[in-house]
Amino acid sequence: MEQFFQQLTNGLAVGGIYALIALGYTMVYGVLKLINFAHGDLFTYGGYLGLTLLTSFLLQDRLGVLAGVGILTVMVMGLVGIMGVVLERAAYRPLREAPRLSAVVSALGASIFLQNALMLIYGARVQTYPEDILPQTAVSILGLQIPLIRILVVLASLVMMTALYLFVQKTKIGTAVRAAAIDQGAARLMGIDVNRVVSLVFLIGPALGGSAGLLVGLYYGQVNFTMGWVYGMKAFTAAILGGIGNIPGAMVGGLLLGVIEALGAAYLSIAWKDAIAFCVLILILIVRPTGLLGERVAEKV
Amino acid sequence: MRKLIGLALALCFLASGSARAADTIKIGLLAPMTGSWASEGQEMKKNVELLAKEQNDKGGVNGKKLEVVVEDDGGDPRTASLAAQRLSTKGVVAVIGTYGSAVTEATQNILDEAGIVQVANGSTAVRLTEKGLKYFFRTCPRDDEQGKVGAAAVQKMGAKRIALLHDSSAYSKGLADEINTILKAKKANVVFFDALTPKEQDYSAILTKLKAAKPDAVFFTGYYPEAGLLLKQKKQMGWNVPFIGGDAINNPDLVKIAGKEAAAGFEFLSPPVPADLDTHEAKAYLADYQKTYGGAPASIYGVLAGDGFRVVVKAIQETKSTKADDIRGYLVNKLKDFPGYTGKISFNQKGDRVGELYRVYKVDKAGNFVMQK
Amino acid sequence: MSRKLLAGYAVVAVLMALAPRFLDAYWLDVLNSVGLYSLLALSLNLILGDAGLFNMGHAAFYAVGAYTAAILSTRVQLPILYAVPLAGLVAALFAAVVARPVIHLRGDYLLIVTIGMGEIVRIALVNDVFGLTGGANGIFGIARPVLFGHKIKRPEEFFYLIWAFVAATVFLFHRLEQSRFGRALNYLREDPVAAEGSGVNTVRYKLMAFVLGAAWAGMAGSIYAAKMTIISPESFSFWESVVLFLIVILGGSGSIPGVLLGAALVVGLPEIFRGFATARMLVFGLVMMVMMVVRRQGLLPLRRVRFKPSDVARAEAERAAAARVEVSP
Repeated sequence: MEQFFQQLTNGLAVGGIYALIALGYTMVYGVLKLINFAHGDLFTYGGYLGLTLLTSFLLQDRLGVLAGVGILTVMVMGLVGIMGVVLERAAYRPLREAPRLSAVVSALGASIFLQNALMLIYGARVQTYPEDILPQTAVSILGLQIPLIRILVVLASLVMMTALYLFVQKTKIGTAVRAAAIDQGAARLMGIDVNRVVSLVFLIGPALGGSAGLLVGLYYGQVNFTMGWVYGMKAFTAAILGGIGNIPGAMVGGLLLGVIEALGAAYLSIAWKDAIAFCVLILILIVRPTGLLGERVAEKV
Repeated sequence: MRKLIGLALALCFLASGSARAADTIKIGLLAPMTGSWASEGQEMKKNVELLAKEQNDKGGVNGKKLEVVVEDDGGDPRTASLAAQRLSTKGVVAVIGTYGSAVTEATQNILDEAGIVQVANGSTAVRLTEKGLKYFFRTCPRDDEQGKVGAAAVQKMGAKRIALLHDSSAYSKGLADEINTILKAKKANVVFFDALTPKEQDYSAILTKLKAAKPDAVFFTGYYPEAGLLLKQKKQMGWNVPFIGGDAINNPDLVKIAGKEAAAGFEFLSPPVPADLDTHEAKAYLADYQKTYGGAPASIYGVLAGDGFRVVVKAIQETKSTKADDIRGYLVNKLKDFPGYTGKISFNQKGDRVGELYRVYKVDKAGNFVMQK
Repeated sequence: MSRKLLAGYAVVAVLMALAPRFLDAYWLDVLNSVGLYSLLALSLNLILGDAGLFNMGHAAFYAVGAYTAAILSTRVQLPILYAVPLAGLVAALFAAVVARPVIHLRGDYLLIVTIGMGEIVRIALVNDVFGLTGGANGIFGIARPVLFGHKIKRPEEFFYLIWAFVAATVFLFHRLEQSRFGRALNYLREDPVAAEGSGVNTVRYKLMAFVLGAAWAGMAGSIYAAKMTIISPESFSFWESVVLFLIVILGGSGSIPGVLLGAALVVGLPEIFRGFATARMLVFGLVMMVMMVVRRQGLLPLRRVRFKPSDVARAEAERAAAARVEVSP
C-alpha cells in the first residue's frame, strides 16, 4: 500500500509539470487550431534560461530562497513569453490564412531550429543546476516520507493553473480569449482585436511552459536540450486527454497522465511506460475523441 | 526539371573533386558530432586533433605531416554507413571510431571491404570482434570482461539480493545481461531486472519499485546523466542501499548532477582514468590538454580514441608503411604493452584489447573518483 | 502524364544509368539513400498527398517491413528477395489492423495518433517484443540479396536494384493516379463529405491507401535491411517519420516528381553540406519555416487540372456542335 501512495504522489508531481506545459498547448490550439510543436522547446529554453540567470545573478544568495526563486520565475516567464510572441509573429502569423498543414510544418521547423540553436549555444552536454537551492528535506505525511520539493512542485502547478483559469473566466481579456477560441470571425465582428488576443495567448502559454522548465531544473537538478521532445509529447497527450482547447481539461489531463504513468511503471513495466502513455492517448481518441472534459473547439461540418 | 539537371551536375562536380594530397598521411575520425552522442564525438575530436598536432610538432610521421579527417556519424547507423563510405573515398589509411556498438557495426563491413584499418573506441558489444574481420580493432574492452568484474564487485560488497537496472540501450542491456548470466551461474539471487527510459528526469517511480524489491545492492548499467539523477532522487527518498555502476558512468558531471552528498560512496567500474596514470607521458598529455582546451578530458571514450590514434601512428612509424596489412600485422603481432594513456595496450588475433582493464572506483565525500585496489 | 514530365524522367533515367561510371562509392551510396527515401516518400505520398491523411508514423510500416525481412532471413534463412514481398504483405496487414479503428479521426487527431503508433512500435522493438526483435541491439547478419546467382553487395550493385525498383514504383503510381482508385482518393481528399455523398466509400478507400502505402514502405524496409545487414530501432525513430513527412510536403504533396525532388534534396543536401554538420539541422528547421511562407505548395506541386488533350478537344467540339444546333432554326 505504501508503494501505491508513493507512486501516486510521484505521479502527481510529474503530472503537475505536464499540466503546466499542456496549458500552453491547449490555449494555442483553442485559438489557432494549431499544434505548436515548438512549445516543448520553449519549455526547454525556460530550464536553460533559468540556469543562466541563476548562475549570473545569484538571487537566492542575495534575497533568500523564496524571493530569489520567485523573482527568477517571473524573469524566466517573461523571457520565454516574449520568445513565444516573437515565434508567433515570425512563423505563424504569415500562415494564418493558409491550410493547417502548412502551420504544422512551420511549427516542426521552428522546433528543430530552436532545439539546435540551444545545442549550439549551450553545448550538447547535460547542464546541471547549482545544488541545494530548494530544501532537500522530506516531510512525513500519513507515515510516508515525501520530499518537500515534490509537494512544492504540485502546489506551484496548482496555483498557476488556478490563476490562469480565473484569468480566462473572470476577466474581460480572458473572455476575449475564449471568444476568439470559439469563433475568430465572430469575435472580430464583436470588436475584439484577434491579433492581440493571439499574441497574448502566445505570451501566457509559453510563459507557463517556461516556468515548468525552470521547475524541472530546480526539482531534478539538470536540463538537457532534448527534453522538450519528451515532455512536449507527454504534455500534448495530456492536453488531448483532458480535451484540447479546454483549460481545466489540460490540468486534469496532466495530473491524470502523470499518475497513470507512475502506476503503470510500478505495476506493469517500467520499460513500457511511454508506450502505456501513448496507448492511453490512442484509446481516448478512439473511444472519446473530445477528451475527458470535452473540447471547447467549434466543429466545422 | 531544370533543378534536377542542375542538381545532378552539381553532384558530378563534387564527386570528381576528391583530390589527394600526397604529402600528408590522412587518418580518419568517425565520431558523433551531431545527434544524441554529440558530446562524446566532440571529446573524441578534441583528443585526436591534439595528438595529431603534438605529433606534427615533433616532425610528423615518416617525414610527413598527419592530417585528421573528421566525419560525422550522427549517432545513427544509416548516417554512419554513409560517413564510412565517404572516409573510404578520401584516402585515409586508418579510421578511429566510433562510439556506440550499433553505429560501429554499420560501418564495419564498409571499412573492412575497403581494406582500411578501423580502431573503435566506444563499442563494447561482444559480437563486433566475433565476425573474423581482419582490420577491426578496439581500444575499449568488451561487455563480457566488464560483466565479470561487475559481478565480482557486487558480490564483494556482500550483497545477497541484487537488483539489475539498465536503460534498454544496446550497451546497457548487454552489460546487464552479462552480469545477470554470471550471477545466475554463481547461484546469486537477482531480485530485480528492468529498464528505465533514458533522457527522462523523474525516476521516483522506478526507485520506489526498486525499493519494494528489497535489494542489498543495485547495479545500474546505464549512462551518467541517469545515474546522477538516480543517486540524487534516491537520496531524496531517504533510501540508502548502495548503488554500483558500469563504465558509462565515468564522467565528472556525475557528481554535479547527483550532488556531493548523494554521490559519496557510489562505486563504478572503469578503465583507469588518465589522472590515475602516473606515467610521465600521461601527465604531460593532460597538461597539454588543459592548456589547449582549458579543462581536463571529460570522457574516457575521448581518451580511448586518442589511444587508438596513437597505436595507429606507432604502427605506421614502426612499419614505415601506410598499407592496411602492414598496420594490421604490426598491431596484432608486434605491439606489446604499448603505454597508452588508458593503460597498457596489446591486441589479440580478434582485434580485442588484451588485459584486464577494469578497475573499481569509489566516489569520496569531496566528489573525487578514487581507484580502489 | 504530360510530355514535359516524360522528358524530365527520361533525362533523369539516362543520368542515373550513367552515374556509376562517374561517381565514387560514397556518392553512389548517397544516391542509394535517395532512392530508398524516394520509395518511402512515394509510399507516404499515397497516404498523405493523395488521400490527404496526416500520417506522421510512417516509419512504423518501414520498420515492420525491415524487421520481417530480417527475421525471415536470420531465422528461416529465406533468401532476401523472397522476403521483400512478404515484408510488404506483413506491413500491409499491420496497417489494416492498426488503421481501421482510427481512420475516421479528424486531421490533427490522426496526426497525433500516428505519432503515438510510431512510438509504440519503436518501443516494442526496443523491448524485444515476442523475443523476435533483438531489442536495442537489433538484428544482424541479414543476408545480402542474390539475383541469378550474383550476390549484390557493393554500392554500384545496390544502385541498380534500388533505382530499378524506384522506376517501377514511379510508373505504377502514375498509373494509379489516373485510375479509379486515384481519382477516388483525390475526391475524398478535397471534400470528404461530398465524396461520401456521391457514393465513394471513404472509409474503404482511406484504408486501401494506408494499406498500399504501408506495403510499399515495408518492401523498401526489406531492401534497406538487406543493404545494411544490420537493423536496429534507432533507424525507425519519430525523426524518420518527420523526414518522410517533410519530403512529401516540401516536394509538393501528391506530386510524384515533387516527392522525388524532395527526397533528393532532403537526403542529398545534408551530405553535400557535411562540412557544416552542426549547423545543418539549424538550417533545416529554418528552411521549413521559410518554405511554408514563401512556397507552401511545395517545389513541384500538382497541377490541378489533368485532362488529357484529347478529352479537351472532344469537349470543345461537342460544345461547338451544340451551339450550332441552337443557333440554327
